[in-house]
Amino acid sequence: MTDSTPSGSGANTPVRTRLDRVPMTPSRAWIVGATLLLAPELGALLQFVAGTLPVGEAVVAATDRIPVLLSRETIPNRGTFVPGNGWQGTFLGLSPAKAWGLRVGLIYLYGAVLLYWLWRGYLLYRNRYRTASWTPFDDIVRRFRGHRWGQFGLIVVLAFLILAVFAPALGPTTLDRNVIDPYSHELEYYDDGTGDVETVTVGAANIDSTSQGIDDRNVGPLTYDQYDRFHPFGTLPSGQDLFTQVALGARVSLFIGLVAITISGVVATGLALISAYYGGRIDLGIVLVSDATQSLPQLLVVILLSVVLSQTWIAGLYSGGVLLALIFALTGWPSLWRAVRGPALQVSERTWVDAADSYGLAPRVTMRRHILPYIIGYLLVYASMSLGGIIIGVSGLSFLGLGISPPTPEWGRLVNVGQPLLTTVSWHIAVIPGVLIVIVVTAFNALGDGIRDAIDAETDLDNEEEATAAASGAGG
Amino acid sequence: MNRLLYLFRRLLLSIPVVWLGVTATFLIIRVGPLNPAAAIVGPVNSAQAQERLARIEEQLGLNDPIHVQYGEYLVDLVTFDLGQSWVLYPGQDTVALLVQFGPRTIWLGLWAVLIPIFIGIPLGIYSGLHVNTNRDYVASITGIVWRAMPNFWLAVILLALLSQTDALFFGSGWESFIVETPLIGAPDLSGLGTPEGFVVATKQILPAAFVLGSASMGNELRLSRTAVLEIINEDFIDTARAVGVSRWRLIGKHVLRNALIPLIPVITSEAYLLVGGSVLVEVVFGINGIGTLFFDAMTSGDLPLAGSLMFVFILLTVSINIAQDLLYTLIDPRIGYAERQ
Repeated sequence: MTDSTPSGSGANTPVRTRLDRVPMTPSRAWIVGATLLLAPELGALLQFVAGTLPVGEAVVAATDRIPVLLSRETIPNRGTFVPGNGWQGTFLGLSPAKAWGLRVGLIYLYGAVLLYWLWRGYLLYRNRYRTASWTPFDDIVRRFRGHRWGQFGLIVVLAFLILAVFAPALGPTTLDRNVIDPYSHELEYYDDGTGDVETVTVGAANIDSTSQGIDDRNVGPLTYDQYDRFHPFGTLPSGQDLFTQVALGARVSLFIGLVAITISGVVATGLALISAYYGGRIDLGIVLVSDATQSLPQLLVVILLSVVLSQTWIAGLYSGGVLLALIFALTGWPSLWRAVRGPALQVSERTWVDAADSYGLAPRVTMRRHILPYIIGYLLVYASMSLGGIIIGVSGLSFLGLGISPPTPEWGRLVNVGQPLLTTVSWHIAVIPGVLIVIVVTAFNALGDGIRDAIDAETDLDNEEEATAAASGAGG
Repeated sequence: MNRLLYLFRRLLLSIPVVWLGVTATFLIIRVGPLNPAAAIVGPVNSAQAQERLARIEEQLGLNDPIHVQYGEYLVDLVTFDLGQSWVLYPGQDTVALLVQFGPRTIWLGLWAVLIPIFIGIPLGIYSGLHVNTNRDYVASITGIVWRAMPNFWLAVILLALLSQTDALFFGSGWESFIVETPLIGAPDLSGLGTPEGFVVATKQILPAAFVLGSASMGNELRLSRTAVLEIINEDFIDTARAVGVSRWRLIGKHVLRNALIPLIPVITSEAYLLVGGSVLVEVVFGINGIGTLFFDAMTSGDLPLAGSLMFVFILLTVSINIAQDLLYTLIDPRIGYAERQ
């Protein structure tokens, strides 16, 4: 054994040297990069998991202590302006607006880098590790890269995604502090009268920072209230911060949309495969069930079910979000199924499906390997467009006072709160959430358009008709 | 003859669809966790309420075995015995309520179909004829954003704008423009026969219909643009142009007529949007039509009324669906009867 570096001395060599000995393959480099990227936010991830799962208070408290890079603790935006001394308590003594802006900017930068790293990972897999040198998916990606409108959609959808995922860290304050329990939290401010720093509860401060439609009772977008709190989107008539609620509302919308579309997508794909493969009576049966489901106007069924099930335990999960997601999944699958049934029928008539059958493959395998890959793209198109429709539907219900119950914020309810003040100086309450809905839904439609054009350059009207109905959210 | 056979087949297939839809409604209302009688009575905290609960349960037949209830329910619906309202308008017959509230919703729906046709389709055709110009981009993007706008939000914004229009509409605000009408509230349909009554009723419904038709307007704009684009690249257009057909004749006779074929079924298929959207739009605009009736029935716990209204909606959507398929075959004989099931 004349090895120059005996393994026994490994513990004494610096980490750096030991790492050098590990051959740095591209995949290892990528994994190291991903780990480095994830590490600063690991605490937030664990907090979220601990908060969602029933693991007990101790674990939740333990995860709360893990430092997180992009959090309001690291970059605080809450401070007190003391004349002569500048801002106290904020990050580097910046003004709250700048500190908040910095945090938002950094979070978005972090999100962008993370997504870019995932994209790099995909490229790495494609160039280095995938056995096939070309798959049809490469062409879809290539065509999408030339589709500006689709890319616009993708970017806005990703920005919405980051808003929803990082909602608690993005808001200038927290829901618990600002809305749920404002009288248990205190804040410090500089009182001109006494010339000293005073303390007041958040609840009392909220009463002085309301937006009620008259000039001296209004905290508009990008302004401070008299307690030096910065409100990027202004305040609500109750004095609560609008941006905090908008960010958390994005989370609810995205959650309901994704859960509903995933369930109905899986059901729709399964049924489309079955009706395309077997055809005949089975197909007719599914047609009948889907027609029956569609004969019930979606929005009315959602209203009916959300009222009837409002007293059950499931309505208590996520302030009714889980229930709404299930209802939208239950009523939404027929339109998705109709959209993918056509392509599935076309593929099922191809010779390779016959070949697979005569080769003796089990029907399930034939469906999964030889039909499914061709319809998954169509599914994505309609899923993207229906997602916008679901977001509209949920906010419409909340606007009516059904749907998501307080204190969980929802965009539609914010519009409802702001409606009476729309023609006054407090216009921001109803306008900002509404404009955001329009932008997000437009983006999901644009993304759907982009994927459709990327899959198949030719547009056929029959499918478009189905998609446009889905995109309009059943009249919400 | 073939067409009659197709109609017959279509009607036959719609029976199980209606049956399934009705059964689903029955399951939600009768088997669901909310007892309809308890919803009607509200909190039971006195002997009187207890007695009333028992009486209503008896009247609704809730004490019978579930299959008996189901049988009676089906028989009632087939004979169009839709029961009565319990909470909202106690004792009123559902059919009488439909007759009373229906016309306002129909009036709203009619204009909500007409406005998109007269704005969306011409704009789409204009875009299609000037494809990839700035005018096309403006029209297309307007259509796309228009479609993404939630009805309830558009309604709220439009109401706010119209209440602030003192300087517009020739010096008078919207409310006193041409004829005096309030911004919110149901139109008075009793004077539809007279010119003045017609104008008042129309003007009163226009903002609501404009909102309700907004999604359809975006769709029709988009689809008519695509349709024109597809037709304009056909060989026969080149031929007509080469022969020397004038521009207007070319557009009117050769492009439009063909481009409209795929559009007509689209218009009927938007009935789904109208039925669902009528709830939100009627609530915001304070129009007491069927949508408001359904919403109020649901929020006040009048489940029997809501269930009966649901049956009416099911019949409505299924018949619109059949009409749409028939229209398809009438307009475009190339579409086979067998293909569209």
